Amino acid sequence: MTRRDLIHKWLVYALGLLPVWLLDAYILPRYPLWGTVPMLLPLAAAAVSVLEGAYAGTGFGLVVGLLWELAYPGGFGGLVFYMALAGMAMGAVSQYALSQSFLGCLICAAGTLGLLDLLRVAGRLLARSAGLSDLLEAAIPEFLWSLAWTPLVWLIFCAVHRRVGGNKLA
Amino acid sequence: MKNFLRQNGILLLVIALLLSVLIGIVSLVMGGSADPLSNIVNTVTSPVRGGIAAAADWVESVYAYVFRYGELQDELNDLRTQVGRLQEEVRQGEEAVRENEQLRELLEFQTRRRELTTEPAKVTARSTSNWESTLTLSKGTTSDIQAGDCVITQTGALVGVVSEVGVNWSTVSTIINTDTEMGGIVTRTYSAGVLEGDFSLMNQGRLKLNYLPEEAQLVSGDEVLTSGRGEVFPAGLLVGKVEGVFTDPSGQTRYAVVEPAVALDNLIEVFVIKDFEITE
Repeated sequence: MTRRDLIHKWLVYALGLLPVWLLDAYILPRYPLWGTVPMLLPLAAAAVSVLEGAYAGTGFGLVVGLLWELAYPGGFGGLVFYMALAGMAMGAVSQYALSQSFLGCLICAAGTLGLLDLLRVAGRLLARSAGLSDLLEAAIPEFLWSLAWTPLVWLIFCAVHRRVGGNKLA
Repeated sequence: MKNFLRQNGILLLVIALLLSVLIGIVSLVMGGSADPLSNIVNTVTSPVRGGIAAAADWVESVYAYVFRYGELQDELNDLRTQVGRLQEEVRQGEEAVRENEQLRELLEFQTRRRELTTEPAKVTARSTSNWESTLTLSKGTTSDIQAGDCVITQTGALVGVVSEVGVNWSTVSTIINTDTEMGGIVTRTYSAGVLEGDFSLMNQGRLKLNYLPEEAQLVSGDEVLTSGRGEVFPAGLLVGKVEGVFTDPSGQTRYAVVEPAVALDNLIEVFVIKDFEITE
């Protein structure tokens, strides 16, 4: 793959991330379902990691983490490292244990979202800012409602993957 | 393992770690001001945010006109009745104010004054997370907005406090957010307490009026205002109404659950209080 192909490929992936980000940041928060807003950015990282493998997954995770920290309120930096690490782990798991399929993406997305919510719950429990049942009341619907968006995100990035030549150029 | 990491982006992971630390330190140092990178990203994306908010507001208004016309007509009729009643109350209030001023003059009290310098701003984005309640506004440091400024609606109901400011945007931590902490007072009984955000109440769109005095006899519907204690926030801003009074699990203190006067999900335009001068 030439440098030009590589730039073209990641520009198209960035374009694929654009509608996901706009939906996640500006449209879905206006219409919460029973008070719950989904998180689409981890799904984007999961889809690209499953399609492109661990190395590309780490890079894409890093970019998604940066976007999350810089374009959303209340960032403290941790999401950049978390998303890069998650991208690497998801890419590796899909390369060596799971298949490059929707099911693989769903499992990886569930893992990333679940761990993220678990960390948030643990953080608030340690800070004694809320009780476990209250935290789970926020975390479980968020996890499930976010996961419900996996098919759409997977379809977007599958289309991008096919557009950039699928596995032939990777 | 070493080979795996080398082949699979250990360098990228190290860069991510360094960026995380850098963003963390810069956010900590900058306090209420946005860190330079967030500032650039949010300033550049501000027109996109504003455009999407304007388009969504327009679509919602068209939808309401087409599908909720009857409901809106009923609401208009209710509001007309309410305006008539309020005009009568204003007339009575004006008389009371005149009488109050005369009595103050007789007793040589200082005239009560309330001056707020406000800046109108559009709400361009809502909370993107289920773990906090924030709003993004269309104005920032170029309009002299600072972290800690109170945000109100056109009717004077408190929306929240500016928590982060960028060039042409700012983030508001709403009154139901968990970091809220300000003095509150119940108008009927003059019972003072501390208005606090609570995680479980935040998800129900409510907040707490904590540390109520034991003798306070509050009833559902009592109006809660900001007390202005400490002179950080203006006094007399409408927060909401008492929904119920409870004793905390330790049995030591009582608290009231307060329903905010403002519908945080439907806000389009707000006013940032840049300066205030209140003489009681």
